[in-house]
Amino acid sequence: MYDLFFRKFNEKVALTAEEEAFVKQYLTPKKLRRKQYFLQEGDVCKSICFVEKGALRAYVLDETGDEHITAFALEGWTLGDLYSFIKAEPATWNIDALEDCELILLSKQAHDELLQTMPKYETYIRLLMTDAYMALQRRTTYMISLPLEERYLAFNQMYPTLFQRIPQHMIASFMGLSAETLSRVRSRISNRK
Amino acid sequence: MSTKQTIAIIGATGNMGSGIAKSLSKTNNRLLLFAQHTDKVKSLVEDIKKGNPAAEVEAMECPTNASWEADIILLALPYAAEKEIAAKIKEVANQKIVISISNPLNETYSGLVTSPDTSAAEHLQQLLPNSKVVKAFNTVFAADFANTIIDGKQIDTLIAGNDAQSLDTVSALAKAIGLNPLVAGELPWSRTLENMALLLIQLTMKYNYNWVAGWKVLHN
Repeated sequence: MYDLFFRKFNEKVALTAEEEAFVKQYLTPKKLRRKQYFLQEGDVCKSICFVEKGALRAYVLDETGDEHITAFALEGWTLGDLYSFIKAEPATWNIDALEDCELILLSKQAHDELLQTMPKYETYIRLLMTDAYMALQRRTTYMISLPLEERYLAFNQMYPTLFQRIPQHMIASFMGLSAETLSRVRSRISNRK
Repeated sequence: MSTKQTIAIIGATGNMGSGIAKSLSKTNNRLLLFAQHTDKVKSLVEDIKKGNPAAEVEAMECPTNASWEADIILLALPYAAEKEIAAKIKEVANQKIVISISNPLNETYSGLVTSPDTSAAEHLQQLLPNSKVVKAFNTVFAADFANTIIDGKQIDTLIAGNDAQSLDTVSALAKAIGLNPLVAGELPWSRTLENMALLLIQLTMKYNYNWVAGWKVLHN
């Protein structure tokens, strides 16, 4: 139930069996079925989720009701509306399951207690956030500076498993493109070869 | 709150379980129902959906799976049956709210089987040390869920628990089904709450309240 969570944790900070048992007390195992919401816009994001199994996406709705995908999470990734989680303000993101999921939730209360009581957890969170920030930096740079074909190739290289698993129209939305544009970009790339 | 919560009701086909399930099915919550006899659970689900086709309610075949998928777990079981179920759900109930509605009554309903320095809720908390046990609905009769107003007054449901957020969540559930939530205090208050249920049962039998009765704190 917690296998992948602790494997990923140990990659960042090694835990003893006792420390794993200590962290485990604070974790909430939760199943979510395809199309069910983990979070809806307007609610406070009370937990962040780690994906043991399955896939989720986060999206925002614009004024016309169109979806714009802001993030994905596959096995081993962590997802939540961070702003809402930290500030306890209503979320602007919606998060739902693309596949049946097995999640490990960390509530704000559990997160705060672990931060205070366990230096190794603080290290884990620091590394998790640093990784997330670096990914965001790369993604933002690609989005504003690369021509479309190069952007597609760069994203594909950055998230290879995502591109294999997630439907193309969602990848398009994640890259800020229409499905038609993405399809043209892909055919231009394959014509190059 | 617009994100639907999932509530697992374990022991859903008993008087209390089905009363609560029917009430909760009218709220913005998704219900997963489990009881020992699958056919009874299925007919309860059909019954609920007949009255309210929009209700999100489903029969589950395993209490562990139901609790794994749930945000909140409600044990609508006799006190004596809680130990066995607790062992089955312990791991998946980690950090979750577990609502204890049971009253540890003796066979003749004349007393409690627990010693005065503890309660059914505290026993459950010991069995599920990493869950947030909340005592609620134990002072409410099964028939009251269908009609939460008696003699023009809204029935109170007294609530006890150690975690403030969980008390808020359970109070909101009580409100959603038409009861007036009244937080008594931390979990040891369950001793008093369980004795209040015993007293209400005694009064009901003595004065023939026909199992439609409840507690109401009058105040200014």
